Amino acid sequence: MSETIRIKIDGKDITTFSGRNLVDVAKENGIFIPTLCYFRDIHPLGTCRICTVKLNGRHTTGCTTKVADGMEFEINTPELLDNRKAIIEMLYAEGNHFCPSCEKSGKCDMQNLGYDMGITVTRYPHVFSNKIVDFNPKRMIMETNRCILCRRCVEEVKTVDGNDVFSFVNRGVKTVVKIDYEQEAKLTESEAMRAMNLCPVGAILVKGMIHKEPFGEAKYDLLGKAVKPKSNGKALKRDDGGKFIIATTSLAGCFGCHMSILDADTELLDMLEIVEFNKSPLTDIKNFSKRCHIGLVEGGCSNSENVHILREFRKRCDILISLGECAIMGGIPAMRNFVPLQECLEEAYLNSPTTELGANIIPAHEDIPKMLNNVYPCNEIVKIDHYIPGCPPSAQHIWKVVKSLLLGEEFSIAHDEFKYD
Amino acid sequence: MLRKLVIDPVTRVEGHGKVTIHLDDDNHVKDAFFHIVEFRGFERFIQGHPYWEAPVMVQRLCGICPVSHHLAAAKAIDQIVGIDPEDLSVPAGKIRRLLHFGQVFQSHALHFFYLASPDLLFGFDSDPLKRNVVGVAAEYPEMAKKGILMRKFGQEIIKLITGKKIHGIAATPGGVHKHISAREISYFLDGKEIPTIDTMIEWTLETLEFIKAYFESNRGFLDSFAAYPSGHLGLVNKKNGYLELYDGFLRATDSEGTRTLNDVQNVEYADYFYERVERWTYLKFPYLKHLGREKGWNRVGPLARINICDGIETPLAENERKIFKNATGGKTNNMTMHTHWARLIEALYCAEMMRNLLNDSDLLSSDLLRKGERRNRGVGIIEAPRGTLIHEYEVDDKDRITRCNLIVSTTHNNEPMNQAVRWVANHVMDGKPEITEGMFNQVEVAIRAYDPCLSCATHAMGQMPLEISLYDSAGELIETRQR
Ligand code: SF4
Ligand code: SF4
Ligand code: FES
Repeated sequence: MSETIRIKIDGKDITTFSGRNLVDVAKENGIFIPTLCYFRDIHPLGTCRICTVKLNGRHTTGCTTKVADGMEFEINTPELLDNRKAIIEMLYAEGNHFCPSCEKSGKCDMQNLGYDMGITVTRYPHVFSNKIVDFNPKRMIMETNRCILCRRCVEEVKTVDGNDVFSFVNRGVKTVVKIDYEQEAKLTESEAMRAMNLCPVGAILVKGMIHKEPFGEAKYDLLGKAVKPKSNGKALKRDDGGKFIIATTSLAGCFGCHMSILDADTELLDMLEIVEFNKSPLTDIKNFSKRCHIGLVEGGCSNSENVHILREFRKRCDILISLGECAIMGGIPAMRNFVPLQECLEEAYLNSPTTELGANIIPAHEDIPKMLNNVYPCNEIVKIDHYIPGCPPSAQHIWKVVKSLLLGEEFSIAHDEFKYD
Repeated sequence: MLRKLVIDPVTRVEGHGKVTIHLDDDNHVKDAFFHIVEFRGFERFIQGHPYWEAPVMVQRLCGICPVSHHLAAAKAIDQIVGIDPEDLSVPAGKIRRLLHFGQVFQSHALHFFYLASPDLLFGFDSDPLKRNVVGVAAEYPEMAKKGILMRKFGQEIIKLITGKKIHGIAATPGGVHKHISAREISYFLDGKEIPTIDTMIEWTLETLEFIKAYFESNRGFLDSFAAYPSGHLGLVNKKNGYLELYDGFLRATDSEGTRTLNDVQNVEYADYFYERVERWTYLKFPYLKHLGREKGWNRVGPLARINICDGIETPLAENERKIFKNATGGKTNNMTMHTHWARLIEALYCAEMMRNLLNDSDLLSSDLLRKGERRNRGVGIIEAPRGTLIHEYEVDDKDRITRCNLIVSTTHNNEPMNQAVRWVANHVMDGKPEITEGMFNQVEVAIRAYDPCLSCATHAMGQMPLEISLYDSAGELIETRQR
């Protein structure tokens, strides 16, 4: 039997047994250390580093640390919290983590950590790396762009005769998970499902298991906590006691975010008591006629005109808010970043099944703007002050943020309002 | 020396639209164009994705009628798993239809109250600062409130079925994935939290009375404004040729009502359509192959649908259809502004259909999914609020999308909208010494009648903001005017 020991976590004395796992010990004492690769029943892998803590002043991973007498841990210092957040942001920036089109949305461990940490945007530019999606296995699809290389599948998924199904191949940044087709074919349906559920993201998908749970009924829709963003506590000044001025624009978006603004329904009428719209599709004002308190931007930049409008918004609005996935990370329009622009144009104008025989025109004219090579999130072009994630964000979420910024009130966002899908 | 009037931005499909009008020295119109200035590339970047992601991804083409894209893609993807529309389970088919009626109802309410009503209530030449939905809310608060609640009703139906008001998920290959409870249904029937479906019908009828009176007192102007002969295309019910929004045969007529496309199956669409590409716009121009580019283009949307159908299955809407038909002595209606009227008749049809379905016990069934024999190609055609919407996918044996073709409603209306712009240029601006703000607004009014999905953007939110620049023939800016 292991001996009783005393350790310190964030200054608090804790009595436990030696050799136990720090993550578990912390949890028993009401201290949460987020984990991603660490999974019940698997020996700790230490691959994701989300659980990074400080032991006697040095960084280490919580899930691989066995506690011993006298150890002093720092777990929830602002620095460590920010480190963890940065790691999740890096993962988001690196792969195809576009939640709306992912079957795992609502059941994804990484997405849920994103919610818990209140991640609205990544501090790193998106990479848009395009790895192979493997459709060859019998039961599964391997969406390598979503894999975070946690190794869970490699360690845990075996056939009845004990053979490995998944393995890591290549090294460094080229590392990917490979499926052994022959072994995979031996898995039963339920074993395949287990592999899918084991993967903390949406990298392993079972064919035909499609959007099983309706919105609001998936695992993490039912768990999770409200996010409490801080307010600066200062109300914005209204000019001569008049209304607050808001401008809105839709760049490379679908207008869903603007529709969501309207979903405030009759509350919109109340908002109009304190808010006036300036340049916006809601009004006929084409160019800013006044300086605005808040600018709401939907959509990223896909052509030169988008860039021009965005810069003007930055100049004319005190606070600029990126509204929705497209503005924050490019969203669905940015999926064209995986393909050369020319190929997209050719497919649409030359190769479609209904293209006229012998047609060879791709639009290009002085009266239409030039496409950018890629679709860019707004924060890669100008400084953005606040982000409201979601595709689209809910009306409550949008108006709560806007109202609180205007009036300087504290607010929190309920778990079901803060979503990436 | 040629001068070019530029209206930019006009509106957008996934971006902004723009109008250019070319004038000679005597201010005579030489040419007029409606440019769509953005391009997305869905057809290409969706390749390589698993087929079941299509209905979720492609609905992000549009945030105003996402449900139509979701369902058109779903109908195509159903075929990949071997299910034709008639093979869906009865409850799944009804749930999808209810969803679509909710979508069309909210979109039509949005268009009428948020978009069109400011022009009608304040006049085309009224103060542009007031001519928007905020102005309507200030001056006609009761009407604005009804409009908002009508849209809300449609959005709540969508939320019931897809889990979200915008970009939810309802359809999975071969059916729907959410079971509906009696408690959820009663929300729409008991009037406790939102006005009931009966109230929706009542308000829609009221709005129809308003628009009929409006048309009566502005007859001459509304009948001729941007009116021109065109073909009309849409789906009709497979059994009786009635108005159909979810699934039917493709039918087209010419401007006189003679059939040009006689009740064709969805999957055969590609045999009948070509699309022309022009250098000066990102939007293509579809037309019927056998009639050619000059004669084969069609309007789509409410006006076209009411023109081509043989009747409407709900009594109140059918009655209104007859009144509408009588206005043209039974002839095909080519009057662009009458689209607003036709749109409200459809809204009434949707409301009546929603009432029927909300009272249908099939909705509560959990028999929601079917599977058939796997295929490699699927075509989904649906009547979106703005008109015929076509999605086609090819999929390989490994479930990967290898090809995708999309003809969205507004693409069909590309030529009609160009015609409308030209009409206003020729009839309103031609030879005038001064081009006024009101004249520019009339260009918008004509385009707006189509409720174009490019305007799923700017336009749908209210007025299209304008900046007008005059260039000389050397391309030098000589004058810029703004609202
Ligand atoms: S596929 Fe999933 S479980 Fe396997 S290494 Fe990648 S993220 Fe981890
Ligand atoms: S974030 Fe979603 S809803 Fe908003 S513009 Fe982009 S696709 Fe549309
Ligand atoms: S949970 Fe500890 S490193 Fe991943």
